[in-house]
Amino acid sequence: MTEPVSELLMFQLGARVFATTVRDVVRIGNIADVPRDALVEGTSLGPTFARQRGLVVAAPEGGAESTLVVDQVLGVRTVPESELQPLPAFAAAVLTSGAISGLVLLDEAPTLIVDLPILVRERLAAAPPRPSPPAATA
Amino acid sequence: MAMTPAPKSKKSSKKPTAGKAPARRTTGDAATLAATVTAFANGKLDARIRPADYADPGLRLIATALAGAGAGIGAQLKEFNDRVKNVSHGVDQAIEALIRLVVKGDLSGELRLGVTDAALTPLIAGIGQVMETLKRFVTEIREAALQLSTSSAEVLAAATQNESSTAAQASAIHETTATMEELKGASHQIAENAQMVAAIAEQTLTGARQGEGSIKLFMQSMEKVRRNAVEVDDAIGKLSKRVERIGTVVEVIDEIADRSDLLALNAALEGAKAGEAGRGFSIVAAEMRRLAENVMESTKEIKNLITEIRESTHAAKEASDGNKREASEGEKLGGAAITSVSGILSGIQETSDAARVIHLATQQQRTATEQVVLSMSEIEEVTRSAQSGSRQATGAASELTKLAERLAELVKRFKID
Repeated sequence: MTEPVSELLMFQLGARVFATTVRDVVRIGNIADVPRDALVEGTSLGPTFARQRGLVVAAPEGGAESTLVVDQVLGVRTVPESELQPLPAFAAAVLTSGAISGLVLLDEAPTLIVDLPILVRERLAAAPPRPSPPAATA
Repeated sequence: MAMTPAPKSKKSSKKPTAGKAPARRTTGDAATLAATVTAFANGKLDARIRPADYADPGLRLIATALAGAGAGIGAQLKEFNDRVKNVSHGVDQAIEALIRLVVKGDLSGELRLGVTDAALTPLIAGIGQVMETLKRFVTEIREAALQLSTSSAEVLAAATQNESSTAAQASAIHETTATMEELKGASHQIAENAQMVAAIAEQTLTGARQGEGSIKLFMQSMEKVRRNAVEVDDAIGKLSKRVERIGTVVEVIDEIADRSDLLALNAALEGAKAGEAGRGFSIVAAEMRRLAENVMESTKEIKNLITEIRESTHAAKEASDGNKREASEGEKLGGAAITSVSGILSGIQETSDAARVIHLATQQQRTATEQVVLSMSEIEEVTRSAQSGSRQATGAASELTKLAERLAELVKRFKID
């Protein structure tokens, strides 16, 4: 009998690494191919720097897809579900965003699990997207 | 010869014999008469002839005449002797008076004798003339002595001056000779130095010519460097273009790798969404992604290398441009150096010629100086002799002055007024 696992997509904004379930991501794209008004950045996860990739997130209720700008996509990791932990109550109370659904210990380092649809929704609800700087070509 | 009685003959008292006796007596009387006359003639003035002693009339007449003549001669002799004594006495008086006058030097008076004789008149007149002549002589000698004293004093002063001048001249000539000796040494040294300068100038000329040749070689090298720099510049330009081309290709490769990475990520994403069924797909996707990442790492390294190559080519280009500029500047400097060296060569050539002329001139100067030194030595010798002669002349002039003074003193003894 095998232990149930969860497939997590690892991505990086700035110096921090985050994880999200693969089901929240429709595909991984190149932000240069995405219209600027479809890009989502400046979220509560922090500012972006390299802006290499875009995580395409399905819109709720049949809306248009949104592309979350990230600095780098690190890959997919398979993690036993037992290692997925809910966010502590104190941390949940402190955080203003509801996009952090839990955490997972990877390579002995705690990694936040992000609910991308909630994150995109919060960002879109908070303010119109700011003009983005030119995409990095390096 | 006085008339003295005839000498008695032993036979005179005898009666003459007939015939031969009277003849013998006459002969005897004649002999007696002749002897008496001869004695008188020999200075026996007291011899007397007595005519009565001669029997022969002829002899008696002769005896008488001789007796008369003898008496007359005797009287005249006596008178003559007396006069001679008188004149001698007058002459002695005149000589004594003259000696006294001369000894006392008093020529102012006249000669007066205690004896008067007509024969002394010419003597007195002659002595008077002598005194007058002496007076004139003394006067003239006194004037001459005065002039001589004055002239000898002038001669002494001139001789002293001449001696002093000669000594000064000798000293000056000696100093001049010493100076000329030093000049001779200096001329010798100058001649050697001039020869050395000429040799150095010749060496410098040779060195400058070699330098000119080196500069020409340097200019040829600069020209070659400039051409090489142009070739290097062209090569760098071509290299830059090829590097740019490589960069473009790498960009394409990088783009492809990025898209491959993106595809691999999406493949892995889809594999993960598929669950267990997509496991193998996810493994292949992960492998593809590693390859893409390797390619991107490689392209990143290539980009870094291209960047380094760009920087290097840029530096090489700047260095090449610098080489061209330096080579051009070197050619300009070489040209200026050639011009300068040409001027230097001309100057050195003139210097060498001048040094050679100076060398010849100094040799002539040395010879002339040696001749001058020799002449100065001869002049010094002559001057030394002249100085000695001048000293002798001064001594002689001094002696002459003393003699003039002595003469003046002597002349002063004669009183003429």
